[in-house]
Amino acid sequence: MLTIKNINKQYKGEAVLQGLSFTLRAHEMLSILGRSGSGKTTLLKVLAGLETADSGQLLLDGQDLSPVPANQRGVVYLYQEALLFPHLNVFENIAFGLRLRRRPETEIKEKVNGLLQRLELPGQARKMPEQLSGGQRQRVAFGRALIIEPRVLLLDEPFGALDAETRRSMQQLLKRVAKDFGLTAIFVTHDLKEAMLMGDRLGMMQNGQLKIYGNRAEFIADESTGALDEARFWTDLQGLKLTK
Amino acid sequence: MQQRWAAYGGRSLFVLLSAVPIVAGVSYALLYSLGLTGVLSEGFTLAHWQEVLGDAAFWRTLGFSLYVAAVSIGVALGLSLALVLRSPQAFTKGALSFFIYLPLSIPAIVMAFFIFQWLGKGGWLSRLSHQLGLIGALEQFPDWVNDNYGIGIIVAHVIMATPFFTIFFANLYQNERLGEYLHLAATLGAKRRQRIFRVAVPVLLRRGLATVFLYFMFVMGSYEIPLLVGSQSVQMVSIRTIQRLQRYNLGDIPEAYAISVAYTVMVVVLLVGLLWYNRKQMGRA
Repeated sequence: MLTIKNINKQYKGEAVLQGLSFTLRAHEMLSILGRSGSGKTTLLKVLAGLETADSGQLLLDGQDLSPVPANQRGVVYLYQEALLFPHLNVFENIAFGLRLRRRPETEIKEKVNGLLQRLELPGQARKMPEQLSGGQRQRVAFGRALIIEPRVLLLDEPFGALDAETRRSMQQLLKRVAKDFGLTAIFVTHDLKEAMLMGDRLGMMQNGQLKIYGNRAEFIADESTGALDEARFWTDLQGLKLTK
Repeated sequence: MQQRWAAYGGRSLFVLLSAVPIVAGVSYALLYSLGLTGVLSEGFTLAHWQEVLGDAAFWRTLGFSLYVAAVSIGVALGLSLALVLRSPQAFTKGALSFFIYLPLSIPAIVMAFFIFQWLGKGGWLSRLSHQLGLIGALEQFPDWVNDNYGIGIIVAHVIMATPFFTIFFANLYQNERLGEYLHLAATLGAKRRQRIFRVAVPVLLRRGLATVFLYFMFVMGSYEIPLLVGSQSVQMVSIRTIQRLQRYNLGDIPEAYAISVAYTVMVVVLLVGLLWYNRKQMGRA
């Protein structure tokens, strides 16, 4: 379980995170919706150990994460772009984390091949990143993260660069994989529908402050999330069609 | 239509200015080396080629040129990568980003002269060592100029190449978003050393391979620096070729041309190999 207590962060005198507190339960995916500049990425980077908070406490299963460097946290941060290592093929990209840990070759082969199957990437092992589509690259990026069995997975708008159809299929895939692997994850997006689809729980980030909702109904009822606006739009459109 | 003609014109001008002189020069050199042209031409012969290829000195020259280029580029790459990875922003912003350009503006002959003044037996370093009591006489200073290991040539090339590669890698670091790759690698569990040797260095070298290769060829074929600070007994290809061309014995000229053609063939083969490797890496082979 990840517990965040009163995290604050400033850049050049401007507050980016203001007194953030929340809890992420094990095997749960928390969707955080927020506009650009709301502090979503900074929050994820603080959790990953890539930025340090000015104050506050980060606890993962009771362990204080603040003094733990990024490479020892077991918290993997995935960017919007897949960022596959360009000098490695698909197999070696996925195997990267295990190679760092000097795992036996048989274990690496078994785990990478298993992931290639589960991520629907058969026959792609020897391809270089340039030879893959956007969706395939993102699948490899997931594989590279999943293979080290992260304690928490942080996803920073991972489907933002994909076309609508690929995005839908990737959302389904991630839902399935998250369930299969029992992932504990934070999914950050500025897309309302995506946030609602992906999260077991929902949060909204505005001006460095995070509000976590008790359930989906609360999230929808809050005007600031834009869910009601979206619903009205579709209702009006439907009405327009019917009257025509 | 007008655009198409402009494109044709541009391509023709490029071919005229770059490809034609090279092809013409190499063709003339080939004909000369085969005895088909030149003042002492006596018809087709492979004698000059047999002379060159059977001469151990030619292979020594080629080996020495490769050695100088490999060591110079290797040291310059090591230094520039260390500088960029130590402080990635320093060479794209601030005063250092200006001063790093200065060594690039120094002509090779000036750099060679500087190295001669600096590292020669009567040079500044020798005099300083003498003043400090490290050596009893100036003659005791080691041979770092005009020596058989090419130390003077290598130092001159390293001083010129390091700022070039530093600027080049600093820009690649930004363009390739290497900072994000390194962050990602850290969250995947990579220690600092692993991030450098498993991610940063391979990414930068892979993207910069063509430029590194071209600079390697430039060093291999350099003339002014080995002319001034190189040895007379172990020569680089360019020095040996020019000396043969300028000798009083006109019979040496075809051999000089044979050396230059052999060198060109070697460069082209390496270039084709590099292009093939690049295409393979890009998945288009």
